[in-house]
This record gives sequence, C-alpha cells and structure tokens, in this order.
Amino acid sequence: MEMINVENISFSFEDGITRIMDGISFNVEEDEFVSIIGPSGCGKSTMLRIIAGLIKPDGGKVFYMGKEVSGPVRGISFVFQDFALLPWLTIIENVKLGFSLINITEEEKNRRSTLLLDSFGLSGFENSYPNALSGGMKQRVGIARALASDPNVLLMDEPFSALDQLTADTLRSDIIYQLKNKDLPVKSVIMVTHNVEEAIELSDKMVILSAKPSHVKEVINVNMPRPRSKRSRKVAALMDHIYAELAKD
Amino acid sequence: MDFYAALSLLRMLVLDTGASWVRMFIALGISIILSLILGIYAAISERFGRIIIPIVDIFQTLPILAFFPIVIVVFVGILPGYIGINAAVIFLIITSMIWNIIFGVYESVIVLPSEVMEMAELYGLSTWQRFKKIFIPASMPRVVQQSILSWSIGLFYLVTSEIFSTGVSQYKVTYGIGVFFGTIGSSNLAEYLLGIAVFIVFVIATRLLFFKPLENYFSRYSRQQSTSAGYLRIHNIVHAPIRFIRKRVTGPTRIQDMGIRIGRVILKPRLKKNEPKPIYVKRKSRTGSRTKYATAAILLAVLIILLYLYPQILPYEYIIIVNLAFSFARVWFAFLVALAISIPVCVYLIFMTRQTSKYVLLFQIIASIPATILLPLIVAPLSAYQYGAEYTAFIVFFLSSIWYIIFSALGASKAIPNSIDEVKNIFGVRGREAWQKIYLKAIMPGLITGAVTAIAAEWNASIVAEFFNGSGNISSAICPSITSLSAISHFTGSGNAVSLGIGKLLDISLSCNNITLMLIAIVNLSVMIILINIFVWKRLYNKTSAIYR
Repeated sequence: MEMINVENISFSFEDGITRIMDGISFNVEEDEFVSIIGPSGCGKSTMLRIIAGLIKPDGGKVFYMGKEVSGPVRGISFVFQDFALLPWLTIIENVKLGFSLINITEEEKNRRSTLLLDSFGLSGFENSYPNALSGGMKQRVGIARALASDPNVLLMDEPFSALDQLTADTLRSDIIYQLKNKDLPVKSVIMVTHNVEEAIELSDKMVILSAKPSHVKEVINVNMPRPRSKRSRKVAALMDHIYAELAKD
Repeated sequence: MDFYAALSLLRMLVLDTGASWVRMFIALGISIILSLILGIYAAISERFGRIIIPIVDIFQTLPILAFFPIVIVVFVGILPGYIGINAAVIFLIITSMIWNIIFGVYESVIVLPSEVMEMAELYGLSTWQRFKKIFIPASMPRVVQQSILSWSIGLFYLVTSEIFSTGVSQYKVTYGIGVFFGTIGSSNLAEYLLGIAVFIVFVIATRLLFFKPLENYFSRYSRQQSTSAGYLRIHNIVHAPIRFIRKRVTGPTRIQDMGIRIGRVILKPRLKKNEPKPIYVKRKSRTGSRTKYATAAILLAVLIILLYLYPQILPYEYIIIVNLAFSFARVWFAFLVALAISIPVCVYLIFMTRQTSKYVLLFQIIASIPATILLPLIVAPLSAYQYGAEYTAFIVFFLSSIWYIIFSALGASKAIPNSIDEVKNIFGVRGREAWQKIYLKAIMPGLITGAVTAIAAEWNASIVAEFFNGSGNISSAICPSITSLSAISHFTGSGNAVSLGIGKLLDISLSCNNITLMLIAIVNLSVMIILINIFVWKRLYNKTSAIYR
C-alpha cells in the first residue's frame, strides 16, 4: 500500500523567480525506509516540510494514504535536525506534547511517556530540562516525542547531522532497532540526509535530487541484506555511483 | 488661533524643540564616547569589568530622575546661570542614555572570536590600533542600535526634567519642548496638539534622517549580515517555518536589539551555533551579583550610620517609609495592569500575526512620546473628580511602564527557538495547552527583563506623576510642617497632588531646600529598588536563564 505520494511538486523562493524544486515526484510504500539525498540548497528540508503539511507547494500535490495533505496530518510525525525541544519544559513534558492530539488521560500520557523515555535509555531524566542533556540525548527525546503521536509515517530531517560521529552512529543503530519494534505504528520513514553512507545503511529506497531547481535524478532501490557493511563491495560500488551522480551538477 | 499667531507659535515650538534636541545630541555624543571607553575597557580588563559591569547594572535600574533635584543644586552651584541648569539637564539625559550603550559595547567586544585577538597579538597591534581597528568597529553596530533605544529613554528624561525644572522658578531652562508643555496647560488644546505634532515630526525625522543612515553605514560591520540570502515564499496554511527562516535571514533590526540581547542572554538560541568560541565568556559569568549585594549593604549601612549619628532625622525616616509605601502600591498596581494588558497583546503579535517588526516601529514612535507630556492635558480635567490626582498618577505610571514590557517581550521573541511553531503544528498543540506550555513560557524572559526597566521607569516618573505643579511655585507654607504626614497629605500645591507619595515628598523637599530629607528619601528608594532587584527579579532571571539557556 502506498503511504505517501509526492506528485509533481514545485516550489520557488519568495521572489517568485528562483525555483528550488521543479516537478518532484516519488512515492513511499508501506514498510519502506526512504532517504532523500541531494546537494545542499536543493530544498530537501523544504520537501520534507511540504510532505508534513507545514509548507504549501507552488504546484503539485502530496497524498497521505490516498488523501491530499493540506496541513499537518495526525498520522505524520516529524523529527527535527535541531531537536526542537522546548527549553522551558522538562523532558517528560516535551514528550507529552506529542500526545496533544490524542484523547487520553493525563496519567495515561505520563505512563506512555515514561515507557517511551525508558525504551530510549532516558529513564531518570524525566524531570531534567533539555539544556542539561547532551545532543544525542536531546535527539532521543525528539524521536520519543515524534513516536508519542502514534505516527504511521515518520519524517526525519537530517536527524543525526547535529551530532558528532560517534553519537550519531550509536543513535542510528538504536533507531533501527526501535523501528523494527512491531508494536510501533510506524510503517514508513522518510529521512533527509546529506550523508550518503548513512542513507545506504538505512534505506530501502533512495531518492537522489539534483541541484536547484531540483528534480528527481534517480530513484535507487537498495535490496542488499542488512546489516550493510560499508566495506562490502556492493555498498562501495553504490556509494561511488551516487557520488558520481551528485558530482555531475 | 489666526494664521500669524499659529505661525509664530510654530516658530517658537521649533525653537523649543530644537533646543531640546541640541541637548539630546550633546548628551548622546558624550554617552557614546564614554560608553566606548568604559565598555571596551571593561571587556578587556578583567578586574575593571568585574567592578564596572555590576555597577552599570545597578544604575540601569535606579530612579535617576530622583537624583535630579540634587544634580540641579550641584550644577547650579558650580556653574553660572543657564549653563548650570543646561549642564544639569544634559547630565541627567546622559545618566538615562549611557547604561545600555555600555552594555552593548561590552558585549560586542566580549564575544569577539579569540582568533581576532590572536591576530592582533601576532601582528603586534598597539593598544590604540586595537581600539581603532578592532574594538570600536566591532562595537559600532550595537552602539547605533542601543542609541536608538537610548534616544527614546532620553526623551522621557529630557521632557520630564524640563517640565520639572519649570516647576521651580529659580531652576529653569529657557527653551525646551518640556518648558512649552509645562507652561501651556490644558487650556489651549490647539496649541497643545500643535506642540505634540512638532514633537512627533522631530522624533520621526531623527529616526529616519539621523539613525537610519548610521544604521545602514555601520551594518556592514555587523557579523550577522553575511548570512543574507533570498527567502522563501509564503503560501499561508502555516506561516511558521518560513517566517522563522525569514527572521533568521534578515537578522535583528533596530531597537528590538535590546530585547534580542536580553533574549540571547537567556535563551542562547541556536543562531550562534556555528560561531567561534568567544574570548572572554568564562569571566562574564563570574561577575555575578556580589557587587550588588555589596552595594545594597553599603547603602543600608550608610542609612543606619546616618540615623545613628543624627537621631533627629528619625522622623524623616518615618515619613519617608510611609510615603514610599503609598508610591509602592501605585507603582506596582500600574505595573500589574500594564502586565495584564501587554501579555495578551504580545502573545497575539508574536504568535498569531508574526508581524512584530511592523508594530515595533509604530510602537517606537508612540512610545517615544513621553507620558509626562500628557500631564498638562489630563491634570485639569481629572482634578475635577475626587481622587483625580490618583487617576493622573496611574495614567502616567501605566504609560511609563507598558512600552518597556512590550518592547522587551517583542524583542526577546526573536530569540525564541525557530522550530516552536513547527512543533506546535505537527503535534497539534492548541488552546490552553499552547498558552501554558508555549506562549507564556516563551515570552517569560522578555517579560522579566521588561519588568525591571518598566518599574524603574515608573519610579522615575513618580517625581512628576505624584506631584505636578504646572508653572506655579510650591508654596513655602508646607516647609515648617514637613515632618507631619497629615500636612503633606493635605498639601495640594496649585496643580496635581496625590495624598502621600515619595515623588511628592521629593518635590516638596526640593522646594523647601531640605536637602537632608531629599537625600535620605533617595537612599531609601534606591535601597528598596536594589533589594527588590536582587531578591525578586535577579532570582527569577537566574531561575529562568538556567533553564532557558
């Protein structure tokens, strides 16, 4: 079943002249992890916000489970590059924001938040404020909050790029582990990244965008078994291919 | 009013306003030079910075206008005639303008990347070269931004001091827009409105013809400028992300800088994420409130010693404290009303309209019309009512404080994390939850810093809000019975007078030449303000800044 359809999206700068997206189309199936990669400035993050219903495109449409997206949708959640935690709320309060649209009691919210924080190794930090946490921990809170809203589709905007390499590696493998958890309603993930290696490691499908005005250069289905070692010949070959594509602009 | 009368009135008004503006420019020039010297020195010399910064911090919140009577006495004593009184007025304006400019300079220098200093070291730049090539250019963008704010604050002091100095005939400037407003009364509405119109024209002209070019010129030195790029187009379903991007890209403008600065200090937004590590930052946190405690302790000690040495002034202390209590109730009531009004206004402007910069410019112009100018207009009609003087005082207090709260909150809103709106929309945070968890908390730092300045402004205004005598002299009949509370409360002068209040007491003590009473009253007032700052505002500020950082 198709979770997300992106149809012929175009978008311009406010001046109306500089086009940054030109007829982008792709779709995301159930149980698919899709990454969008492309040179910087090609509008990857804007694309993700258009899918989330935060920004309206100049042309084209986005469908979530067959219905057109015209604003934020209940079943779509978002993980931010800069974590976007509210500094004045405690960790648990931040996670509870994710339940805003879900009609459950305060106790139930607390119970579920605690469980989520637990599963991300954050128990004991419920009443800390975000600034007391390291970057990696903050992003765990950000992901916990995103999962709290029971999303079918999870959008991630360069979720690991504000973290150092080691932290990012650990968090990445944690995330994969979490997303395999069948109790979660998350069916599909769309991740924006500029890290080709990361994209190959995680994705079932990669959407390669060109420089602006960007269009879809290539959609690559990655059918390699996991875990994917970057030393394997197949991965290396794919990486070379993608770098060559990106360098063509 | 026929045409020729109007023309000659206009001529007089331009002359008056011009005279006021000359004082303002002299004061601004001196303030900037002193600020550059003090601010830069405070930033590069650890020891000096540790002393001067907390002192500046204290002076910023003291009711300097209350010192005006003393300043007049001193300057008129030293300098002859109109030079003395003009010097006193200019000195007063400087004391209102200088503090935030010093902070601006200090912070500009202190956040200079250490590479710059290493470069200066490597190329062996002399002290003078470092000032000329590094410190002064680095400070100028902030100096200009702070000067715009200082100008509005200065206008309040200017007009008030001019109005005030007309109240006592022997201490009086001849020309000045405040003199005009102080003497015309409410009898002639047309003249009054013409006066306001000329004043506003001067305000706008200064903003556009003086500050705007300066701003444009020095913006090239600003390190935020380099990020400029085109911004995205909005198709309004959800405005948030783009507006935030736009704000980020165009950077802070104009007077909101004070608020931004405050917000930055508290929120430390991501804006600076990629900037190199500043040089002197470690030291900054150490220049804590120790000096504040010391100052409060010293003032308290002075008071106690005074009372011990001169037990005859004990009755003074009694009437001062009673008067202070009355003023305290007025000031805080007006403040709470202003707060109750400005919170929804700010939340609406920041989160619903997102058009803060447009409104800020409009507010700037309204706010730069000093509340005290309204006195002649409102005193006479209100005095017909019972408690009319209380209403007058409330209006002046209210108008002196509300703009500070709004400016500060709007300014600090620029430092609110970019993605708040996206978070709000993605997770559908609405209604009460949005107010509780997002709006109120997001504007909190701005409100706290705004509150400190707002209340300081109210205390400053008390000297005219609680006792406004128009052009008449205060009768000396009150002087012999100045230690009697009932005598003071029944004394009304010829204009507007509340029953009891520290502002009224200061006015009376000045016209009775009772410098002792005046001094003790000022010490009491200052101690009270410093104590409240330390134990209420500073504490709140530290609490929030620890979390919001």
